[in-house]
Amino acid sequence: MVLPPLLKKRKGGKEMKLDKKLQGLIAVIAFFGGIAMLIGALAMDFMGSTFEGRGPILVIGILAILFGMYLFPTEKHHRKIINFIFLFPLLFTFLVTVIIPLLLGFYYSFTDWDGIRMRNYVGFDNYAKMFHQPSFVWSIVLTFLFVVLNMVMVNLIAFLLALLCTNKFRGIGFFRAAYFVPNLIGGIVLGYIWQFIFSNVLVEFTSKVFNNNYSILASSNTAFLGIIVVYIWQYAGYIMLIYITGLNTVPGEVLEAAAIDGASPLQTLFNIKIPMIAPSITICTFLTLTNSFKMFDVNLSLTGGKGSIASFMGSYLTNGTEMLALNIYNEAVIKSNYALGQAKAVLFFIILATVSVLQVRISNKREVEL
Amino acid sequence: MKRKKLLALVMAGAMVFGLAACGSSSSSGDSSSSKAEGIRLLNGKPEIDDQLQELAAKYEEETGNKVTIETIGGDTSASDELKKMYQADNMPDIFVIEANQAETWDGMLADLSDEDWVSDTSYALKDDDTVIGFPYTVEATGLSYNADILSKAGIDPTTLTTPEAYEEAFKTLDSKKDELGLTAVVGWCTEPNNLGWSSGTHVFAQYLDAGLAQDDTKYLDLLNDGGQIDEDRMTDFANFIGMLNQYSDPDLLVDGTYDDQVANFAAGKYAFVTQGSWIGATVTSSDDYSGFAMGIAPYAFEDGIDTIIGGAPSFWTVYNDGQVDAAKEFLQWVSGDSAQKILVEEANLISPFDSCAYEPTDPFYNSINTYMQADKLSGWHTMLKKDGLQNETCVVFNDYAKGDLDAAGFVKTMKDVIANYYAE
Repeated sequence: MVLPPLLKKRKGGKEMKLDKKLQGLIAVIAFFGGIAMLIGALAMDFMGSTFEGRGPILVIGILAILFGMYLFPTEKHHRKIINFIFLFPLLFTFLVTVIIPLLLGFYYSFTDWDGIRMRNYVGFDNYAKMFHQPSFVWSIVLTFLFVVLNMVMVNLIAFLLALLCTNKFRGIGFFRAAYFVPNLIGGIVLGYIWQFIFSNVLVEFTSKVFNNNYSILASSNTAFLGIIVVYIWQYAGYIMLIYITGLNTVPGEVLEAAAIDGASPLQTLFNIKIPMIAPSITICTFLTLTNSFKMFDVNLSLTGGKGSIASFMGSYLTNGTEMLALNIYNEAVIKSNYALGQAKAVLFFIILATVSVLQVRISNKREVEL
Repeated sequence: MKRKKLLALVMAGAMVFGLAACGSSSSSGDSSSSKAEGIRLLNGKPEIDDQLQELAAKYEEETGNKVTIETIGGDTSASDELKKMYQADNMPDIFVIEANQAETWDGMLADLSDEDWVSDTSYALKDDDTVIGFPYTVEATGLSYNADILSKAGIDPTTLTTPEAYEEAFKTLDSKKDELGLTAVVGWCTEPNNLGWSSGTHVFAQYLDAGLAQDDTKYLDLLNDGGQIDEDRMTDFANFIGMLNQYSDPDLLVDGTYDDQVANFAAGKYAFVTQGSWIGATVTSSDDYSGFAMGIAPYAFEDGIDTIIGGAPSFWTVYNDGQVDAAKEFLQWVSGDSAQKILVEEANLISPFDSCAYEPTDPFYNSINTYMQADKLSGWHTMLKKDGLQNETCVVFNDYAKGDLDAAGFVKTMKDVIANYYAE
């Protein structure tokens, strides 16, 4: 039994009752005093007061509330209160940095916010508008294409690398590290490095194939391939590590039994190794799926989303390589349509949430069957 | 159990969203408390940060008032940072805007019409008749040329006022390439991602303003009236750009970078380059620079175009809710003698003020001054087109350079792209 602090000292008889009363009093004063300070500080802030002490009052108020709760003389709920107090810092941070912006985002998407002022509520206008933008529809299509291609390619290549790197030969650690290192370079830097490679080095070779002398980033179709290559280069090493871990957990006796039964290496791979590492496959597909959707930095630094599409939905597009995340960013920050960008972000959230939930559901089912 | 799972899912989803969102925001402004002493100025030109600090020190020395310079630049645009500052209630008293952003800040900018410096300049930013922006520099753009190479080839840059004259000159230069040590006649790059501002804003500006008087906004008005273009003028412009494409360095035309473009010009490998007066400092500080003279020639895509484009690219404005009087006092001081000395001689800016007695050492200054004196400076109205249009049009320039579009296709596509962008 966990007891509130003051109760622990003396047990039994009148004294304890008195302490309990005193403690209860302190608890109630601290709790309600804290709430009063909290409300007072918030009220001051909303009324535009410039009183410097409103920050400390707010913090002291919150601490007083927590202290009051901690001292609350109850044995029944004490454990719950302690749990809450310990979780509070994390929950509070999560609330402030994620939940509140998320709700605000929903709210802004129904207005005409331009980053500075909000004049009107426009209802679902932003949502209707974005689907009439050929450039946005193009971004959606392109992103889905990118996700599908990427998910397959990254996983395939990472798995093959993992198979290579679980063999026993000299310098295996070097190869593992070498494949993983690109993942440690930030996407923006990576984009600029590859931009240089594409337009200064690779162009020597591609110019002969395409019969021109500009880099593959200059035309939308090849630039799209370029982005995929860079993304695989960046990400395959990371996924490979997860597969390596998976492959190393396949029990040796199972493999030995298979070998004794005369299974060929291919049979071992498909009938033993792959089923045994199903959980790794789940994790990796999930990771690549959501990460490809959120593709932003490489896209920004490599092509900036630029590129021409001669005709899509009846118009000439200038954002041939622009993925969803970058489209949202450009809409909000470059074109100053913050509300429209926010509406797109809400759609982005819904797509991501749906895909992720579906993915987890499907994978969970498969694992159970195995 | 089920509820817990759902909760976990919602939380996980929210986290994913949070991660998605954090890619786009990067804050760099250091916040100072609202009670900071003196006034704060948000500068958007990192290259003159040191000189502005010097300016602030001088101001404090002379008047005892403090000015804090905050510089935003590089890939973070000042306008983006300002929005964050506004949300955080941390606005500077003076901040930099480009002409077409005045609308965004409508009603928040102090009226500067009654200031003394207004009568001393013709480059102030006006909203109807109210002066709202303080010009701190004048920049000019056209076809910058290497005067030494042109004189060696026997070309007089003052005769370059017709497309035919240009064609002739380009042909001559092209035939003497080896003799003059040229890689190509023109350094013209259309890469849209990093150089889109050059083609989409500056070169496009020539369509809007070349040949017009400083305050003539004929083609800008047409553009801002639902995104219309004058097809005849655009066709002439397209033919001229076609000629640039033809005589440009094929290695850099489609995917070249600004650094390479300017470096090659500095090394004397191009006779012309499609950049303006801002490259002066970079060129003269280059190791390969041989000390040649430079000038700016007009984009004569129609007969008789003999003006280059010049004006204030951005302005300092005063925030209404800030310390307006102190800010006005500072701006008045900046237009005066001791401040102009620093801005012109140290920061190498061309002064927008008539009374300024200093001459920058900028290699383009003499050429620009000739145009200024002859009243042959067209307006810098490209900054008044709809924000973000340059990101669309630069792709069309790139397609034209790649050969995916011909001149007629360029005009038609340009027309569609602009109309669609204005319709959004």
